[in-house]
Order: sequence, then structure tokens, then C-alpha cells
Amino acid sequence: MENNTKDFTELTCTNLMIKLKILLNRLSNGDSIHFLATREQVDNTCTPFSGQGYRVSWEQTGQNQFLVQIGR
Amino acid sequence: MGYSTFLFCDPVSAERAGWFFEILQEAASTVSGESKVNTTVFLTGDALFSLVDSRSRSSWNRIGDLPSVRIIADGDELRLQGLLHSVSSQARFVHITGGGEHGPFWECVVSTLKTHRPGMKRAAFLLCNSPYMSRVPVYMLRFFSRVQEAGLAAEMYTYLDGVHTLHNGQRPSEFENIGRGVSALANSGALSGRDTWFAACSRCATARGYYQMNPGTGFCEPSSCIQEIAIRPLKEILARFFQDHPIVSHFSGECVLEERAKDAPHLVVFITSPPYCSEWTFGGLSLAVAAAMDGMRTTVVFIEDGVFALHGTHDVPENDKIFNIQEMIAVTTDVECLRYAVHSPSLDERGIAVSDDFSPVRMVTNADLAGILFGKESGEDAPVVRMIFF
Repeated sequence: MENNTKDFTELTCTNLMIKLKILLNRLSNGDSIHFLATREQVDNTCTPFSGQGYRVSWEQTGQNQFLVQIGR
Repeated sequence: MGYSTFLFCDPVSAERAGWFFEILQEAASTVSGESKVNTTVFLTGDALFSLVDSRSRSSWNRIGDLPSVRIIADGDELRLQGLLHSVSSQARFVHITGGGEHGPFWECVVSTLKTHRPGMKRAAFLLCNSPYMSRVPVYMLRFFSRVQEAGLAAEMYTYLDGVHTLHNGQRPSEFENIGRGVSALANSGALSGRDTWFAACSRCATARGYYQMNPGTGFCEPSSCIQEIAIRPLKEILARFFQDHPIVSHFSGECVLEERAKDAPHLVVFITSPPYCSEWTFGGLSLAVAAAMDGMRTTVVFIEDGVFALHGTHDVPENDKIFNIQEMIAVTTDVECLRYAVHSPSLDERGIAVSDDFSPVRMVTNADLAGILFGKESGEDAPVVRMIFF
């Protein structure tokens, strides 16, 4: 895991959504962001971005921790 | 006919008293005949000083002259603050509780709320202030005590610093024990068959150390908490807002429209503080966005010092871990149920303008604000308009 990976596990789903929209607005085509999230965040907040033209993938890194990557 | 009820526990500045008068006047003058709004304003705590303060007194005098408005002041708190004589002699339009004419203040609050809702089963308090630093939790206990006496179930939603109410082992030497008071309410609710629903926002509880990660399970667990309050996601707490029971707070209001509509209540969040040096703005916005994303019609009004959120261009330093409030607003303008508005008299008073980036944010006058708060805007089909000040 890269050292600059942000840990968003303690954000509410709403605040994570806001955070992701802010970060994704700044993203160039071909770039991606990666961060740590919980199962609930992956299901409720991250996955819906796949329906908005983003590539969303994740891998489990802990009991309730996932490394999520979202790219444009 | 509609009924509006306000509860003010925090200080009422001259500015706030001024625009409050104007919206009440607007409601009284433009909404005539059958659709008139009758208003009751309950004042306790620091709000009482505004009745004698020369900077706000004239606005209260004018509010008191409006025939559709009744102002009720907490007699016990007036005595505590040494204001009883001056208010009773100078502000004769104010009804003071605890005398012959009125019962205790919190009994009047509950009975007024109940009068406007036939069949009401519960009443709630959104607590954003911490015990001991603030007296608001004491008011909350008094409110709930009357709620239970009225045969209603009590619901407490603790948010921001209000989650400190969770802490176990509270032992104030000079103040009323809030933790013990909450436990007693839960017990009396259970004994009467009207269980309480006491919740703390999980984000706020996590930030303050009451909800800690168990490394073994990867899930958070309560830490040093009293058992009577459950830590829940804000989403679960906001699900209660879809029902039309009263939810009061440190500075709050509601307008119950007599023609009962089928929609969920309309939530109006007032952002009154500057954006960054306290959690009020982030907390208010966060709650508003979460409510709107769950489908509740929500209006955020930037007013008084809250207008600074829309002024200039905010640039959060790289190493500063804080949400950029302007970015937060910008990326949520597409949320279907969410509307943003800015109070133009507040901008004028401060001599500032809204940044060009926020030109789509609706400018509202006091007349516009009255339309929003008293359910007179086109498309309004909510049975209740709830107002919470952050």
C-alpha cells in the first residue's frame, strides 16, 4: 500500500461522497485516486460512481478495510 | 391556518431580532384571512437578555405588537438572571410562565406543540451543545420530563458537541448530572411503556473518542459510554426526521400547516456562523446534505455571519485537514432535494458580496424567507417546515 493512500474509513457515507466528488472533479482523464474505505462505504458510496462513467475497483486489505481505486 | 412555534435558548442578536420581526410581519401581513399563521415564540436561557437589551428590545416590542404572535418567557430563568422585574414592567406583551396565568415553561412548550398535532405520539430534541459548558442539556431534560408527563415518547438526537452527553461517569460537583438525567428518562420511559429513542451521531462520537475501532473486528464499538444512548449513523437519525413529530433544539422553529400534506417535512437549515473556526457550519451543511440525499426536501439558508461561507475564494492549505466549505457547496448543488439560499440583508449589513462561483445561489429577502419558512412557496406540499439554526 502506498504511503500517501488516504484513510476515509471514518467519514460518513455523505461526507465521503462529497469528498470523492471534489477529488474526482480535479482528476484528469486516465488518472485515478485510491483510498481506504469500509465495506459499507464501498457498497453505498463508491460503487455508485461506476454508473457515472468512472472505473471503480477495490481489494480487501483488512477485516473491514478495502483499498478502493476510482479512475476517470 | 398554520401554526408556527419557535424555541430560542441562545442569545438573540439585534440583527436576528430585526429580521425575525420582519419575517413575522411579512407572514402576518401577506398571509391574511384563512391562511393566516399564528406564532408562539418561547424564550429561555440567554435569549431572555434580548428582551431588555436596548439593541434588540425595539424589535421585540414590534413583534409583541403583532396580533398573531404570542411571546412566552421562562419565568424561572428570568428570576435566575435577575430579569423578572424589568421584563414584567417594560415588556408587558411578554407572557411569563410560573405565575397565575401560565403553568411551568416546558409544560407550555409541550402543550403548544401537542395542540397543533392531534394524535402526536412523540417529541424530540436535537442536542448540539455539550453538558456543563452549556445549559441547553438541562433544558432538554426539562423538556423531556414534560414530554413524558404528557404521555409522549421522548427522542434525543445528539450531534456535534451534544454527543458528550454519552460520556459515562459524569460527576459534576455544582451542576445537574446530565448523564444520570438521561438514564432516569430512559428508565421512566421503559416503565411507562413508552420507550425512549436516544441516539448519538456516529461521526461526531468517533471524532470525540466515544466510538473506537476494534482492530480485531475492524468495526467501531462504544467506549466509555452510558448505555441508554445508542451510537448510530447520521442517516439513521435523519430517518426519524421523515416523521412529522416536533423536533426542537437550542434555536429552532417549525411551521405546522393545517392542511396535512403527504410529503415529508421540509427541513430548513440556517447557517449563521463563520465557516471554519467552529464545527457549526460543517455540521449544519453535513446534516442538510445527508437529509437531502435521503430524499428530504431541504433548504440551506446562509444568514448573519454564515454568509461568509460564500464570500471570496477559500483555499485550504495542503497540510490542513479540513473540508473546503465552498467545494462542499459546489459539488452538492446537483442534489435533487437540496436548495441553497443566501440572505441578502445579511450580505448588505456586512458590505460583502457572494463570490461569482456562487451566483446561482438564490438571494432571498426577508419576504422570500417568510415564504420559505411559512410554507407559502409554490410547490410546497410538506405538512411541517422545520427550522434548525447552526
